Amino acid sequence: MPMSWELQEAWTHVQARLTGEIMVDASLIPWLRGIVGLVLIGGLFGAGMAAIWIERKLAGDIQERYGPNRVGPMGIFQLVADAIKLFTKEDIIPKNVDKLLYVSAPIIIMGSIFLMLVAIPIGAVYINGVEYPLVVTEMDISVLYIEAISAISVIGIFVLGYGQNNKYAMMGTFRNIARMIGYELPLGITIVSVAIMANSLDIVEIVNSQNPLWFAILQPLGFVIFFIAMVADMGRLPFDQNEAEEELQAGVFTEYSGMRFGLAFFSEYFHMILGSFLISLLFLGGWNLPGFITNNFILGLILPTAFLVAKATIVMMFIIMLRWALPRFRIDQVVDLSWKRLLPLSLINLGWAMALGIYLGV
Amino acid sequence: MSGIIETTNIINSYIPVAVFLIVSLLMPPMTMLIVKLLSPRSRGAEKYSTYESGSIPTGPARIQFNVEYYLYAIAFVLFDIEILFLYPWAMVYQGDTGVSTTLAVIEILIFIFVLLFGYVFLWKKGALEWIR
Repeated sequence: MPMSWELQEAWTHVQARLTGEIMVDASLIPWLRGIVGLVLIGGLFGAGMAAIWIERKLAGDIQERYGPNRVGPMGIFQLVADAIKLFTKEDIIPKNVDKLLYVSAPIIIMGSIFLMLVAIPIGAVYINGVEYPLVVTEMDISVLYIEAISAISVIGIFVLGYGQNNKYAMMGTFRNIARMIGYELPLGITIVSVAIMANSLDIVEIVNSQNPLWFAILQPLGFVIFFIAMVADMGRLPFDQNEAEEELQAGVFTEYSGMRFGLAFFSEYFHMILGSFLISLLFLGGWNLPGFITNNFILGLILPTAFLVAKATIVMMFIIMLRWALPRFRIDQVVDLSWKRLLPLSLINLGWAMALGIYLGV
Repeated sequence: MSGIIETTNIINSYIPVAVFLIVSLLMPPMTMLIVKLLSPRSRGAEKYSTYESGSIPTGPARIQFNVEYYLYAIAFVLFDIEILFLYPWAMVYQGDTGVSTTLAVIEILIFIFVLLFGYVFLWKKGALEWIR
């Protein structure tokens, strides 16, 4: 893009300031990073609301009805109205529940989701050809960290179900735990096979190592396994036996109402967004597009993040549409799928990744 | 992959985690406080009772669960620990840390073979069958 001389001068000045002073210094102060990260996560709250709106709109389209269309243009403020409604609902704690567990369960679930957000890059910027990933904290082991933290949400769900002293909730919890521990194994093994190819457990490294070829192309089997296991892990519809409405009322959320339900429900959507980001980061090349290199300042600032968000949105919309395309599985089918199909297949994929890794001489 | 990792770097990369932990612990109680200020309150014995499709709840909900859940849980713990061993292995097997690649691959194949042996044993014993 041809620019006039003064503008170019101004840009180099801005770039120098950004890279030389503010950017570098700010990225070295961990407290500041944490607080800036919180602002980014505030943006993700908006994304969570958008996800619920997209889900309701898509559901409407698939079932040939309108979906939300009264509050604001195309019903886009429906979620704001819903949030106001949740805030003005009475906070009911039933008298038979275990109060400590009842109150702490949404905190545990929210906490596990928040702690996962810390290590997930939500984009990247290129400045002068140098890449700065937009991630709250940089660790060597971010995939392992996310894998470990996501196990906490299983405890959260158990506390949620056990504290309510309700039969539906208890059944939902049993099913949920049987499902989640089953899918943790193929998930872990596919993450190892990704880490083998990238020779790193750092998500940023993993994204960088799939610059010409995405891991979805190098390990198609691993991609399918990871996708299924991730959908199961977030409890989306073919796998939502924990809150099967037709059998278990609201499943694990039966005794929850008002904002406490809202918190747990919202963290589920957060989990879906995180899962879509993780799928696109580990297998769909993250912020890379094959052959895309830019030295342009503005494009480098915007496009990588836009690629990642676009990929994650497409994955998320696919998961949402899956909900209306597939019937819910029975719990024994779900458990069989993970233990008897996905686990051996993921071991085969591990062998494939090993062989390919040695062949390519990563 | 740097060979030597400084302790301060590790601590620095986990300080944002601490910030997020504190915020995630504070956020739900704060939200509930706002709800408490905004929401109406009314009394009634019925609405604090446990939901059981409209009938009066009988018996405790915390029953003993089926043994099949324990079998899955034990199998899960075994396999999960074995998978955890794969993570450090995946980082060193390619030889840039002085480990012989051939040896590392043979070792991990033996390891996976043992894992598979236990898996086939579990399957044949019927521990992976969902009892209806």
